Amino acid sequence: MDRRIPLAIVLVLGITMMLQFFIPSRASETFFTDIFVRWGLIIYIFALIPSVGSLIRHHWRKLGARKEGWAYSIVTLIGLFGMALIGFLDREHVLARFKASGLFRTVFLNIQVPMQASMFGILAFYMASASYRAFRARTLEATLLLIAAFIVMFGVIPFGAYVWDKIPFISEWLLEVPNMAAKRGIRFGVGLGIAATSLKIILGIERSWMGGGGKA
Amino acid sequence: MNWIQALFKIDRRILFLLIAVVVILPLVKPLGLPTAVTIHAQNLFDAVDRIPPRTKPVLLSMDYSPSVMPELQPMSLAIIRHCLARRIPIIIMTLDPTGAGLAEDAIRKAAPEYPELKEGVDYVFAGYKVGGYLAMISIGQSFQATFPSDAAGHASKDVPILANIKNYDDIGLIVCIAGSAIVENWIVFAVTRYHATLGAGITAVSSADYYPFLQTGQLCGMLAGMKGGAEYEQLLANNNLSHAPKRASQGMDAISSAHILIIIFIFLGNIGYFLGRRKKA
Amino acid sequence: MFSHMFSTSVWTWIAAFLTLAIFSFLYKDNPFYRFAEHLFVGVSAGYWVIIYWYNNMVPNLINPLINFGHSWPHVSHVWLDGLVIIPGLLGLLFFSMFTKKHSYLILLPLAIILGMENGLSVPTYLQAEVLKQAQGTLQGIHTPFIAGQTFFLINGLIILIGVIATLSYFFFSREHKGVLGVSSKVGIWFIMLGFGASFGYTVMARLSLLVGRVQFLLTDWIHLIK
Repeated sequence: MDRRIPLAIVLVLGITMMLQFFIPSRASETFFTDIFVRWGLIIYIFALIPSVGSLIRHHWRKLGARKEGWAYSIVTLIGLFGMALIGFLDREHVLARFKASGLFRTVFLNIQVPMQASMFGILAFYMASASYRAFRARTLEATLLLIAAFIVMFGVIPFGAYVWDKIPFISEWLLEVPNMAAKRGIRFGVGLGIAATSLKIILGIERSWMGGGGKA
Repeated sequence: MNWIQALFKIDRRILFLLIAVVVILPLVKPLGLPTAVTIHAQNLFDAVDRIPPRTKPVLLSMDYSPSVMPELQPMSLAIIRHCLARRIPIIIMTLDPTGAGLAEDAIRKAAPEYPELKEGVDYVFAGYKVGGYLAMISIGQSFQATFPSDAAGHASKDVPILANIKNYDDIGLIVCIAGSAIVENWIVFAVTRYHATLGAGITAVSSADYYPFLQTGQLCGMLAGMKGGAEYEQLLANNNLSHAPKRASQGMDAISSAHILIIIFIFLGNIGYFLGRRKKA
Repeated sequence: MFSHMFSTSVWTWIAAFLTLAIFSFLYKDNPFYRFAEHLFVGVSAGYWVIIYWYNNMVPNLINPLINFGHSWPHVSHVWLDGLVIIPGLLGLLFFSMFTKKHSYLILLPLAIILGMENGLSVPTYLQAEVLKQAQGTLQGIHTPFIAGQTFFLINGLIILIGVIATLSYFFFSREHKGVLGVSSKVGIWFIMLGFGASFGYTVMARLSLLVGRVQFLLTDWIHLIK
């Protein structure tokens, strides 16, 4: 396929979407929603499915080649197909009013939720360890960072007000003034960066999404 | 090595144990520390409270996964209880696939506390929508086209709370509870393009980044992390709107004591570092 | 006695076991952790498939095709429902990535998504993140100046200085010397204060996630917390 075809699609669609933002007519908006947004939603759905296919392929190959840890691949595949099967068979409950308690929901709440929550829960321990080993006031900038962190940490807990009643006020001031100034400056950069990168993609200057490409 | 030197070379497993103890003890024996309400939480509470009963609904978008559930689920529950207590219609949706299960769980917890309210009339779960910003734009053009049915499969035109919703103009307030940058997408695509009114509940990690939007009014109010959930629970209790268990408020006791421990760790680590540097010099 | 102290639900015990299996990684990597990790990956993927199918594929693609012309009530043009076959076929091209010979076909649906996303992003991000933020910065000075609120006026000036200084720090087209050197130095101070504030909140965030898990273990599994 000629590489100019996808580049032309990006160019035409990109400019159409930009122009549509400024066209207030009902016909334009209906065309925009009923065709493009709806089509985009459908294509988006398919974009995420190959990731599941890749997962299955990876673990199937690992299992077949008996690579290290292959037994755990069985666990993954049983989990995947088991959950999908429960969902397809438990049809009424997946679509049912939330009063029903189907097996699909039960497995989600008692297997997926605890594990996903716990994976992030252990970060608290690593953060405690890092605070002891790594957070050093080596330079003026690092000291400023730690001072700001202390003030906010004290400010969000009631103890801060017991130590000094002005701490919550100072903490809020820190968030509303210097923190906001810095974050706003960063947001300017982000907004301009997104606009610039989007224009580069639309105009075909940035082609890394095509793979084996890079810039024009 | 004397005990002073040992203080600056503690094994990390002891640090883990100390954190675990400091978190568990206040949960088992609550300290009952008061929760001070910030202006941004109050503003969000007022924005919801201002909506007249049984008029325009609140659109609650629970866009988070179980990984940040402890921070955000209490907020979602508090907002659902607020709406149900004040008879403000509430439409719940999600743009995160795992948010669907969490949203259903939140409704199953909160709705039975108000048995006189009816599903489909006072509250409904519209379901999960893929596409993020595409769904936001689609709602702005046509809510019915975005959600042709609710999560249970009933056609939207047959669900009283959904039947008259055309777009954001028919929604009183959007509240996005999210653990990612999706709040930014709501600001960019719903507020900027369609002039919707938006409030947010955000994980504490990201909340400091959203202060610029609070100042410009692009966000009408904000809840930050578990503290934000505790603040909203406090507001509900202060206004006699809910007396449900205050999970986030219970958690703040543990967080308070753990914060003190973290600060001690940072001090110890830095004292050890400076003493070591002086010794080398 | 047992039911008074512990949950009698099998599912709660399974949830507690998996929670502790994940936490066991704090000691060291072990088979329980790896079992839980792999189970999580599999169950998550299975869950995603079902949710995508029933919440998106069925109402947006399958139903319009099956109930041709009936599932898009606000549009009287029946042909629009039939047109969904086009994005459906384009979406199927994503699977071409699994073939070596035809993997280039994935560029077509990708181009559509990228064209739409980037075209929509330009005016909206510029308006929300640049123009509106610039307006907010200047209003932060103008409004208190008119109202005679000295404290808020000073805050507004600090914010203006901070925004300009932060932007100057990220300007790498010139060496940070002279005036630019001074402003970028001030900028890094503001950035450090901002990151420090974010770090302070991050500590609370991470602890919250642990507190949530402990609340589950001590409330739902072991009935220690009321």
